[in-house]
Amino acid sequence: MRDEIVGARGITKRYGNALALDEVDLSVLRGSVYGLVGPNGAGKTTLLGVLAGLRKPTDGSFTIDARRVAVLPDTPKFDPWMTAREVVELSVNLSTTEGNSDAVLDRTGLFEVAGRRVGGFSRGMLQRLGLAAAVVGNPDLLLLDEPAAALDPAGRREVLDMVTDLRGDATIMFSSHILDDVQQVCDTIGILNNGQIVYEGTLDQLVRGTSHAPSYLIRVRGGGARIVEALKSCDWVTDVSSGGDTVTVSAVSAAVIERELVRSLAPIDAAIVSIAPVDRSLEDVFLEVTQ
Amino acid sequence: MSLWRLEILRLYRTYRIWILLAVFALFGALGPLTARFLPEIVDALGGGVEIAVPTPTPELAMAGYLGNALQIGMLAIAFVSAAALAFDANTEMSVYLRTRASIRQILMPRYAVNATAAVVSFFLGTAIAYIGTAVLIDAPRLGGTVVATLLLAVYLAFVVALTGVAASFVKSVPGAALIAVSVLIVTGVIGLIPQVEPWLPSNLVGSFDVLISGGAFDYWRSLVVTIVLSFGCVAASIALMGRREV
Repeated sequence: MRDEIVGARGITKRYGNALALDEVDLSVLRGSVYGLVGPNGAGKTTLLGVLAGLRKPTDGSFTIDARRVAVLPDTPKFDPWMTAREVVELSVNLSTTEGNSDAVLDRTGLFEVAGRRVGGFSRGMLQRLGLAAAVVGNPDLLLLDEPAAALDPAGRREVLDMVTDLRGDATIMFSSHILDDVQQVCDTIGILNNGQIVYEGTLDQLVRGTSHAPSYLIRVRGGGARIVEALKSCDWVTDVSSGGDTVTVSAVSAAVIERELVRSLAPIDAAIVSIAPVDRSLEDVFLEVTQ
Repeated sequence: MSLWRLEILRLYRTYRIWILLAVFALFGALGPLTARFLPEIVDALGGGVEIAVPTPTPELAMAGYLGNALQIGMLAIAFVSAAALAFDANTEMSVYLRTRASIRQILMPRYAVNATAAVVSFFLGTAIAYIGTAVLIDAPRLGGTVVATLLLAVYLAFVVALTGVAASFVKSVPGAALIAVSVLIVTGVIGLIPQVEPWLPSNLVGSFDVLISGGAFDYWRSLVVTIVLSFGCVAASIALMGRREV
């Protein structure tokens, strides 16, 4: 039985005539780091807003099986006259659990500036403070909206490291249009395009192609012409090409290629060095799925 | 750090409490001074032309205080309250609060703290005006002053509640303050209709002059309506802001 912490069925959100979300189905498993990927304007913020209870869906329903949900907007802002410690302590006061402000401030690298007013904080510091305020209440579910989008590379690295550290403590739903970030920290992704989920599954399935036409790369000695000829006659092969000492073969599904490839190569008297699945970048798959 | 402490800190660290106190204290001092020295001021500025000015009386001093303090003070109260009650003006801070507390939990401390600040500022201004009048002219009627001050305190709490309901229609701080002030002006104009006046909150403003001058207490209707409207505004703002999407 799948332990689902967020389940959405047919969520639709309209702003006047504009359709922001179009019958979105979503399933986030407990303990996962779920990357909600999509181009700007795809509906990521709207979807997170709906799940956070900040916006009402026009249609559809969703369930969240979590006692404590924390949300981090893309550019957190706090009353500038508050100190960092006060922001975190307010979060502790408003949460239903005990929280250790000092430990969280230390974990987010803000302990030294905890007494400073946040009006003078940089964007990176505000992002870290937002994360501190979000995690101090020990949430079961953490909704992060583009948490690293506005940061410089060092700030991005810090925030992604913090998200990685949280793995196991909470289920994290992480929206981003920066695919590299998602690939680094997420194990499951949903691709949102024009308000619709066009792919949902594990990152591994997506980049290795079990959900799309998978490919294998065969390295050979002495050229791959004979292998290409042999594979072309196989009905499970959708595409095969040779580039000197390599042959790339694609099939309708990973299951088929895993079962048939070696069997088809066995009768050929070829010097095979290696056979390995082709890992496509998330960017390749994303462009393929969204275009 | 609780939401109550947050509101007290907001007033203190943004200097808004000092603005309110200063406005009412300033007019509390100016009211009796102006009334007492008006003949001398007019003489000095008249350039030989004889202008008739009323004889300084405690009633004139207190009326002078209230007239000025309420105009500027009400505007200050509306803006200070709006800065706290229109919390959706800062979307990110609003998300922070809305995902952690109910609208009622967020709004109640804001109403209570800002209404208290408005009332305390008014009490301070009235106390300064009373003492100044007693020293410079003659002591105003104490009983009438106390009752009128309490009625005006209810009215100022209503101004805060009205600003809150305005903030549930517009997100911006100036927008909420200006809507509240506009409604107060409109109710003042409606109050020109004699049959309606005794029922309006603005009628409480007139109680100050009447009660300090020894007039009869005839403000039960407007007092009850103001209290009911204040609670109604608070309830309406909680309901409306709860439905708002951010």
